[in-house]
Formats: sequence, C-alpha cells, structure tokens
Amino acid sequence: MDAQRLKDSFAHVAMHGDEVPLFFYADLFLHHPETRDLFPVSMAHQRGRLVQALATTVSNVDNLETLRPLLEDLGRDHRKFGAVAAHYPAVGNSLLTTLAHFCGDGWTEDLASDWAAAYEIIAQVMVQAAREDEAHRPAYWDATVMAHERRRFDIAVLRLAVEEPLEYLPGQSVSMESSKRPRLWRFYSMANAPRPDSTMDFHVRMLDGGALSSHLARGLEVGGRLRIGSPVGTLTYDGQSARDVLLVAGSTGLAPLKAILEQISGQADPPRVHLFFGASTADGLYDLPDLEKLAAQFPWLTVVPSVSREPGFPGERGSLPDVVARSGTWRDHDAYVSGPTGMVEATMQQLLAQGVPENQIRVEDFGWSEG
Amino acid sequence: MTVTYRSDERLTPDQVQGVSFPSARLGRRGFDEEHVRYFCALVERELVTLLNEKASLWEEVNRLRRRVIGGEGAVVGIRPEDAHVQAVRILSNAQLTADQYVADAQQYSRELAEEARRRHDEVLAEARAHADQVLEQAHQRASQAAQLEMSDPGGNGHRDARAELAYLRTFSDVYRTHLRAYLEALLQNVAEWERAESSSLAAARAGLPPPEVPRL
Repeated sequence: MDAQRLKDSFAHVAMHGDEVPLFFYADLFLHHPETRDLFPVSMAHQRGRLVQALATTVSNVDNLETLRPLLEDLGRDHRKFGAVAAHYPAVGNSLLTTLAHFCGDGWTEDLASDWAAAYEIIAQVMVQAAREDEAHRPAYWDATVMAHERRRFDIAVLRLAVEEPLEYLPGQSVSMESSKRPRLWRFYSMANAPRPDSTMDFHVRMLDGGALSSHLARGLEVGGRLRIGSPVGTLTYDGQSARDVLLVAGSTGLAPLKAILEQISGQADPPRVHLFFGASTADGLYDLPDLEKLAAQFPWLTVVPSVSREPGFPGERGSLPDVVARSGTWRDHDAYVSGPTGMVEATMQQLLAQGVPENQIRVEDFGWSEG
Repeated sequence: MTVTYRSDERLTPDQVQGVSFPSARLGRRGFDEEHVRYFCALVERELVTLLNEKASLWEEVNRLRRRVIGGEGAVVGIRPEDAHVQAVRILSNAQLTADQYVADAQQYSRELAEEARRRHDEVLAEARAHADQVLEQAHQRASQAAQLEMSDPGGNGHRDARAELAYLRTFSDVYRTHLRAYLEALLQNVAEWERAESSSLAAARAGLPPPEVPRL
C-alpha cells in the first residue's frame, strides 16, 4: 500500500469541500435506503464529522498504532447509532465510488486497490472493537424519566432510571437521545455518584435554539423515555491525591462536580473542599439550597455562591473566575472546573497564573457560552 | 465553534452556520451581533448556492468529457453511470434544501429564545428596581402622614396609635396604586411582545430574517 499516494489523492478530493460528503451520503442512501434512518434529518454536521474523521484517518494511515485507539472508539461509539457489521462494506463501496468520482482521470486500478485495502483495515478495527464491546454492554441503555423538576424557566433537573446497570465514574457524562428528536445525541453529565437503584440525575439547561436541550428542559414528562450511550469523560476524581479540592461550577456545569462531591463525601477521611457555584443572576443558582444543606452537614465543605450580573445579590459578585482567584491561593489544591466555554477557559488562566500546576487542573467544557 | 481556519480545510456552509465569535472585551468596540448573524446567514446561503452551481458545472464537464472520449455520435440516451450520478445530484440537492430548512428553523427558534430570555431578564430587573422604588416612596409618604397625625393639636394618648394607623393606611394606598399601575404596564408589555413576535414570524416566512427585532 502506497501511503503517500493515498494522502495525495485524498488531498485532491478534499479540494471539492462539502460536495464530497454530499456525494458519499447520496450514493450510500441510493444503494442502501435503509441506512438513511441511522442519520438525523439535517446532515450538515454529519458531513463535517465525516470529512474530519476521514482526514484524521488518512493522515495517520501509515501509523496504525496511533490510529487504532481512535478507530476503536469510533467503532464502539457507532453501536448506539445502530451501525452493524453489515453496514461496513456498503460504506466502503460508497467511499470508493465517491473517491473515484472526484479523482476523475487520476483514479487508477492501483489507487483503487490501495483505498480498498486501507478501508478494509479500518473497518476491521472498528467492527472488532464494536464486537468486543457487545460482550459486556448494550449498544445503548433505555432510560425512563422518574422525576422532572423545573428549577427555572430554562433549567430542569431530571432523574432517569435505567433497566440494565450502567457503570460510570463520578464526573463522567453520557450522550442522550429522545425519540422526539431522533438521531440527535447530546452529552450530559451525571450529577450523582452511582446508586444501587441505577437512577441518575442530570441538570439540563435549555440552550437558545437547542433542539434536544429545549425538549429535555421543557418538553419531558415523568414516564418519558430516553436512550443513553456509554459513559465517557476524564473529569474524574483523583482519589490518590492528598491535596485539598477546589470545585468551580458555572451554571449546569455543577452536575459533574456534584457527583464528585458525593464521591468525596463517601470517603473515610475527606479532604477540605471549596465549591464555587456561579451564575449570571441569583435565580441561576438553581441548586443552591441543596448545596447549602450539604455544607451544613459536612464540616470539610465550603460552598461559595456568586453571581455576575445582579448588583443587589448579598453574596460574592463578579465573574466566577475572578471570584475564585480573589478568594484564595489554590496552588496546593486539585482543581476541577466545569461550565460554559469562556468561564472554563478564564478559570484555567486564573489558576495557572496563580501557579497551580496544569496537571492539577481537570476541566469539562460544556461547549456553550453564557448569554 | 470558535473561529479557526486551517488553510488545508475548505470552509463549509455548516461552519458558517455554527460559527460563534467571542464577545469583545469590556471597553472594546464590537459589532452588533444581530447584524453579524444576519450576514453569516447570507454568506451561508450563498455558499450553498455556489456549491450547488459548482456541482452542476462539474457534472456538465464530466458529461462533456465522456462524450468527447466516447466519440460524438456514440451517446444515445443516458448511460446507467450517468443516471446514477444524476440521482446522486438530485438527492444531494434535496438534502441541502432539508439542511437549510432545519438551519432556518433553528435560527428562528434561537432568535425567539434569545429575545424571550432578554425580556425575562429585563422584566425581572425592572420589577426589582420598581419594587425598591415603590417601597421607598410608600415609606416616605406614610411617614409624612404619620407626622401630620402626630402634630394634630387635638390629639391625646391615642396619638401614637393614630399616627401608626395613618402610616399604614397611606403605605398600603400607595402600594396598591403602584401595584395596579405596574400590572397594567406588564399586560401592555405582553401584548406588545405578541405583536412583535407575529410580525417577526411574518418576516421569517417571507424568507428574510429580520435584521432588527422591534424593541419593546
């Protein structure tokens, strides 16, 4: 297999931009109409993801050891979308047809067999990983809404129960899908440590124009059904560390940190914990009563609420990163930061500026920005 | 999505639709967000159109190329490969149209939600400021009424009680008047909001997102 030739041909094809994935999916759906149901109505994001995945794969095509873990993740992750081994040859055929179409005269038999061989390896790794994953967990979990509590017009706390046990670490998240918004999977963090009854809490904030978040925050009822995918995420608690703990939560970024807090409270000798909980206005501190109850119960826990845009608020005022920075020196703490993009970045900067080593900071970026 | 551009990647309509810019730092000038969004929507639409046109041209070039290679008189009717490529193109166009509808709907829902959120914040802040003002005013007037009662020369041991009664009566009068006025103003706001919403809905149906939502 000539890796350079693969890369060159892909670079040539990629020049055609969005037309390439458009052609690919149209070809796939024409030959295998049943695969259309595996995708959402709008394919705009999907096309972007496909090109991204192809670009990563092709640039590492001569470096299978780097590529393997990525492909394995991809293979496992595709289970929840309903992808099965039988789909892989169909995808391979459409991929080759697409490449041939855009290469035009540059498409030779050698090139075709190189691409076929490369795809064969990729598919094999993905299918194999999916098959191994099948042995110890379902493709997705069916979940039932046990409780749905609206805390503000755009913030809700849900409790879901899953039928099959779902193992996860506090601080991790799962992707979720509703039959009301088919094929749109979005990530949400569990807000509690694992419970024996397999129920999980989630904090949902409605994003402006967010298809799934608005449904979860406002359209969901007790008894409603959702699907959830395998737990992922690296914002997990370092139980080996002897350091005290700083938790910084912006809005519903609180969820994973609350799970970590619950894990810490189960320890024999908990470290000192400072939890900063910030929102733009006081009614955004949707879980404060519960946090204050915990603070009253645990002498090792300090909870500091802060708001950025309400002059009359009796507690800390200002942007959350500033409040954290001026409230102490955190050099000897393990910091866990979670919330809107800008807030997470700014908090990171403040902590690094204070001299907190980077390896003592773990973050979860919720990907939206505070309005 | 933040604003990054790599020279080896092509810009897609999806990227334009999903682009977000960090807000300008405090004290620095930034562009009006509505206008930037509106322009991005135009750019996205134009990109989709260009891509469609480009795809058609590409097909045409290929068709002509095959015709030249196959010899002039060789082509009678549509060859199966051509038919498939045609089908792919039709499906691609249908998909792009669907994508555009979904993006438009999302955009519209985002604008509505933003507007509602902004109004929610404004109404709350207004209510808070107003409540403080009403309390202060009621207290002042009631104090005056109480003082008047105190200075009444015909008074006796009941003076204190009468003064307090006068204070409370005036206080509740002022408060009630303000509450009534405020509730009426709120109802007025809701009505105006409804009107603004139906007019922006009409604008969206006309295929043009309104560059400016009418302020209440």
